[in-house]
Amino acid sequence: MVSSSLSVKVGNVSLKSPIILASGTCNFGRELAEYYDLSILGGISSKGLTIKPRAGNPGVRVAECDSGMLNSVGLQNPGVHYFIENDLDFMKESGAGVIVNVAGHSYEDYIDMITTLDPYKDKIDALEINLSCPNVKEGCMTIGSDPAAIRYITSKLRSLTDLPLWIKLTPNVTDIKATALAAQEGGADAVVLINTLMGMRINIKTRRPVLTNNTGGYSGPAVKPVAIRMVAECSQVLDIPIVGCGGIADYQDVIEFMIAGASAVEVGTACLIHPALPVKITEDLDNYCKENNIVLKDLTGTLERW
Amino acid sequence: MDFKKEYRIKLVSKEFLNEDTCYLGFECPEIASSAVPGQFVNISAGTVFLKRPFGIASVNKENGTFNIGVKVVGKGTAEISGFEPGMLVDCLGPLGNGFDFDGYDNVILTGGGTGVFPINFAYETLTFLGKNVTVCEGFRNASQVILNKPSYILTTDCGDCGIKGTVIAGLDTIDISDPAKTLICCVGPIPMMKAVSAWASEKGMNCQVSMEQRMACGAGICLCCTVKVKDEGPDGFKNVRCCKDGPVFDSREVVW
Repeated sequence: MVSSSLSVKVGNVSLKSPIILASGTCNFGRELAEYYDLSILGGISSKGLTIKPRAGNPGVRVAECDSGMLNSVGLQNPGVHYFIENDLDFMKESGAGVIVNVAGHSYEDYIDMITTLDPYKDKIDALEINLSCPNVKEGCMTIGSDPAAIRYITSKLRSLTDLPLWIKLTPNVTDIKATALAAQEGGADAVVLINTLMGMRINIKTRRPVLTNNTGGYSGPAVKPVAIRMVAECSQVLDIPIVGCGGIADYQDVIEFMIAGASAVEVGTACLIHPALPVKITEDLDNYCKENNIVLKDLTGTLERW
Repeated sequence: MDFKKEYRIKLVSKEFLNEDTCYLGFECPEIASSAVPGQFVNISAGTVFLKRPFGIASVNKENGTFNIGVKVVGKGTAEISGFEPGMLVDCLGPLGNGFDFDGYDNVILTGGGTGVFPINFAYETLTFLGKNVTVCEGFRNASQVILNKPSYILTTDCGDCGIKGTVIAGLDTIDISDPAKTLICCVGPIPMMKAVSAWASEKGMNCQVSMEQRMACGAGICLCCTVKVKDEGPDGFKNVRCCKDGPVFDSREVVW
């Protein structure tokens, strides 16, 4: 049982805890059920899904870095139809909130995805629209770097479903406020900040990039200050809630994100090292609330700027 | 709250097998009692970010201990080989799928490099099960030979001990009377496993190989460590996870 002091809301979506497993670091949750009871989680954000199955990128997909890693998985996924047949019910029955991460290469792909998923709205708590994957050549981050494109696709998807739309944004832009506002103007229910930072590592013996895709997305504790800055900046200009994501590895990180303006958070790369980390974070957050006699959701946006 | 497969374990023994490879023993009754040959553990390496995967080399169910072999190839393995007995280490395991010996009377174990560690565990298990086991191991030269037993067929590339040549030269010396009832298991570098797979196919034997890929999580959640396997779909192949769907695969499934 998770203490009620941890419950949060992201717009109309009620979550028993602010902890959501970040897309791409938990598959569909099944493997992690070998480690702990998923029902303690606020939510699970599925592996990024596309209309057709994707084999992902060839070759080396991971490069370790100081305090984090680069990945270039390239949205390997079984396709949304397979997901609906085989994984959606598992996610629903896990007891965690069901966040379905939607990716695509074109506006049409995103539209197809929403019309495919909308009939299953009873099993889905929110759709996380991935406009930020740096590891595919078309769509995603290309759309997510352009405020006009974000506004357009968000409003298009808004007209197709009543499900909450969370727009996951890329940090690889000059002004995150502009892209976040564009999502809000398009009718998003929340923004998720941030996806990975684009990076590269080089093998100095071969002078080739470590990743066969040349570049990849940087995640892990190293990106946390960037994510917190972006959450804090967007929190000043947005009316819709923010889900914070980037480098969270303990309960203090969660609190930091919430003070910056996040209503909930996603935990990702740290779970690749400690799969059961959300159990520890949940226990620690509970103790923190008891010791400080607070409910967690009251922390959101309480940043006192100098 | 209940969670499994993630442990903080104590290093209880350490010995160097040669100048860059050590043999570490850890106390963890859960892993010792449940691991099967071919499975691996993920060990935290101190200052580097990701855990490092190691094939389980031996278990002692009575003492609740298991062993791994660590060859220093980079910063993480250098740190782990510097661990001293008494230290506590974060560990996940046992991970992945092991070898499937069911239905075979005879098993040939072959490999080289750090592949000799999982082969050692397989040898101990098969011997305990009373199966007919033959081991053939290959190394670059005599100084690299580790965990070798007198009954093993030994090959070296330069011929300074054992048979000169690759493990194929050693395998050629084995009399295989019943290929349908004989399984060959290989753990080693990709060119070795590919060659052994072709050799087994020629003899009409089934072959299981333990694949290796750069891993992040080891738990099947990040999809970083993919292996290409044959598929009936339009691409003719699909990417599966080395850590979770393997690391042991039927060699005929692998796209080499």
